[in-house]
Amino acid sequence: MAERVLVIEDDRELGRQIVLHLRRAGFDPTWWTEGKTIAPEDAAGLSLVILDLMLPGAHGLDILRDLRARADVPVLVLSARADTMDKVGALKLGADDYMTKPFWPEELVERVRARLRRPTLQRDDALTIGALTIDRARRAVQVRGRAVELTRVEFDFLAALARRPGAAVTRAWLAEQVLGPEREGSERTLDVHASRLRKKLAPEECIETVWGIGYRLRAEPAA
Amino acid sequence: MKLRLRLALTTIAVTIPMIVVLVLFDAVARHRAAEEALAGFALARMQEPGGRERCEADPSRWGGEMGPGRGPPGAGEASETRGRAASDSRGRESGAAGASDLRGRESGASDLRGRESEASDSRGRESEASDSRGRESEASDSRGREAKMGPPLDDGRPRGRPAVLFAYDAALRSANPAAPAIAEPLAQAIATSEVATSEVAISEVATPEVATPEVATWPRSWARSWWSAEVEVLVRMPWEAGPCARVLAQGSTVPGWLGAVLPPTRIWLAPLVALFAAVLLAMGPIVGRIRRLTEAVRRSASAGYASAVPIDGSDEVGELARAFEAAGREVRAQLTAKDRREAALREFLANTTHDVMIPLTVLQGHLSELNENASAGAAIDRAAVVAAMGEAHYIAAIVHNLAVMAKIDADAPRLHREPVAMDVLVERVLARHRPIARRLQVELDGAVPESPLHVEGDVTLLEQAVSNVVYNAIRHNRAGGHVAVLLDRVGGDRFRLRVVDDGPGVAADELTRLVERGFRSDAARTRAPDGQGLGLHIAARVAALHGIGLVFESPPGGGLQVDFIGPRVCAEAADSPHAAHS
Repeated sequence: MAERVLVIEDDRELGRQIVLHLRRAGFDPTWWTEGKTIAPEDAAGLSLVILDLMLPGAHGLDILRDLRARADVPVLVLSARADTMDKVGALKLGADDYMTKPFWPEELVERVRARLRRPTLQRDDALTIGALTIDRARRAVQVRGRAVELTRVEFDFLAALARRPGAAVTRAWLAEQVLGPEREGSERTLDVHASRLRKKLAPEECIETVWGIGYRLRAEPAA
Repeated sequence: MKLRLRLALTTIAVTIPMIVVLVLFDAVARHRAAEEALAGFALARMQEPGGRERCEADPSRWGGEMGPGRGPPGAGEASETRGRAASDSRGRESGAAGASDLRGRESGASDLRGRESEASDSRGRESEASDSRGRESEASDSRGREAKMGPPLDDGRPRGRPAVLFAYDAALRSANPAAPAIAEPLAQAIATSEVATSEVAISEVATPEVATPEVATWPRSWARSWWSAEVEVLVRMPWEAGPCARVLAQGSTVPGWLGAVLPPTRIWLAPLVALFAAVLLAMGPIVGRIRRLTEAVRRSASAGYASAVPIDGSDEVGELARAFEAAGREVRAQLTAKDRREAALREFLANTTHDVMIPLTVLQGHLSELNENASAGAAIDRAAVVAAMGEAHYIAAIVHNLAVMAKIDADAPRLHREPVAMDVLVERVLARHRPIARRLQVELDGAVPESPLHVEGDVTLLEQAVSNVVYNAIRHNRAGGHVAVLLDRVGGDRFRLRVVDDGPGVAADELTRLVERGFRSDAARTRAPDGQGLGLHIAARVAALHGIGLVFESPPGGGLQVDFIGPRVCAEAADSPHAAHS
């Protein structure tokens, strides 16, 4: 079932675009064009609120304060002004994030997704990321159900990446996690291990090289 | 109210009550002195040799006015014996001596002097008269005495009515039909004291049981001594027997307003008036200087504080002038600074407008082209769409920079400082630029530490600084290029934010000039790839404001590497709840 997102934005065109892009991204948006208190029955079932600050009716910060008194639904604030007070004030009142206008629609969708992303089930024994299943207790890895034999370093490498799926991590951090601190030429060694690991996991391209940074474990299956 | 008028009114308001009080006090003092003189005179009159005898011999006739020109109190004295006259004369002498003794006592009250000398005068004349009647041999003595006492009598000063004496027995009955009845307060007073006066005796003899009503008479008695010239005392004689055990003495104070405490002549008014005039005269130059200063300040203010205020003197007025001059200097400095800022802002606005108008025009061109192509049914020109998006993104960056620059220029010292989560900030900057980087086919990635990293600062400024560096790396890159943003903890309590790209880079000799505000080549104005605008300048200004170092380097593989290195907030401060996302 699509997640419900309440959009409070007074500008007709901008509101229409936001709603359009949210709907395309698979959300179920509700659009209010003026500021008013979010009643408990409205708040129920909402996954996220996108709140403009400058609104006719009620100021966005007042709506936020009122909402925070009753509900924990995530709030993404839209701010047109480059005013630090507005942003800090919104965050202090309990906003989860803010975006400064202008923004690209895909940036908005990405931020909404990031806000709604459920934390991965971090059970000690098993972890599923895309095509990968990593069993940390038994130190076993499966690719689409196929077991893959990994060395100790290879497994640690994969487990370290799996701590933050989708995020790039630096070679230096990986080397420290996998090979231990202060080893000569450890980053080169790391690349060798990465290369072997990739071959074992093929044809899935789970591990990406990130230019200037290091590696990343692909969170979604490759398109 | 004008200064001079205020001063004059204040002086008058202070002086008049003071004079009134002094005059009132003077009247009371004169009254007191007159009472004491009368009492002394009555006592001396009776105690002089033969005084009592004369009274007791003929109490019905003794009494009446004792002053000069009205004859002696006892006209029958003339028929008395010579010896008696002689002793009388001697007695009068001693009486006169008593009177002069009195004078000594009353020397403080000049009012008395007249009365007292009048009394001795009358006595003198009296004795002279009896002398001339009785003993010729003593006449010259008397005359000499008279000559001695005479001159003070004729000093031309006003005198009170001559004293009137009446004798009473211990029960306050008088044999003399002319004697007035003794008023009740006096009768009460004499019962317990040697001398009873009509006004104050009552309280002098106050006994506890009668004290209460008498307290109320005090103001009345004072008031009476103020407006009434009449003085009345009842004197107890050293004996109780006979018709002359009490003597009532009546008289008056010296006419006129003053004389007891204040000098009787009006000369004392002269210094008062002189003082008053001196105060007003002294005010003259001060008022004049203040007026001139006011005029000068007005002139200076109307000329935009361009002219100086003249300073004369080292007193308070001079101080005021100096204060005005200092204030004027401050205003001049502020105005100059404001003018400078305004000029800079105008120039900045003109440049920015120029910078915005060009991409806007290009954007319009792209949109127009897209529209024409769509009308013609042609396939969408993807390159034109991407270019249009690039222009829009560029415009947004310029406008953000304009706002940040205005903020830095306006109130750099009053930045909003809060712990800012740099990892979240980096994510936000990446999210802002990722859509356009994707369109430009520049790979944009970032890596942040696993746990939050906080920096103390203004989130708007820091974000714009990082954003400018990242966008700079994207915009000056080429399709297939890369931009990486790395946030790390370094050296314990510091952070390093590195933005590295594999674009064309910057020549070594230009690295140090990157952050100059004026460093915009003609190529930059026309948006050539090597044009550096305001963005890096803002990054440098923001970094400096936050105590963050900004280092530009050309990495070995080409491109540009920019490092922000500065202090980070240590764990405990970063734990504040709102800081996590800021």
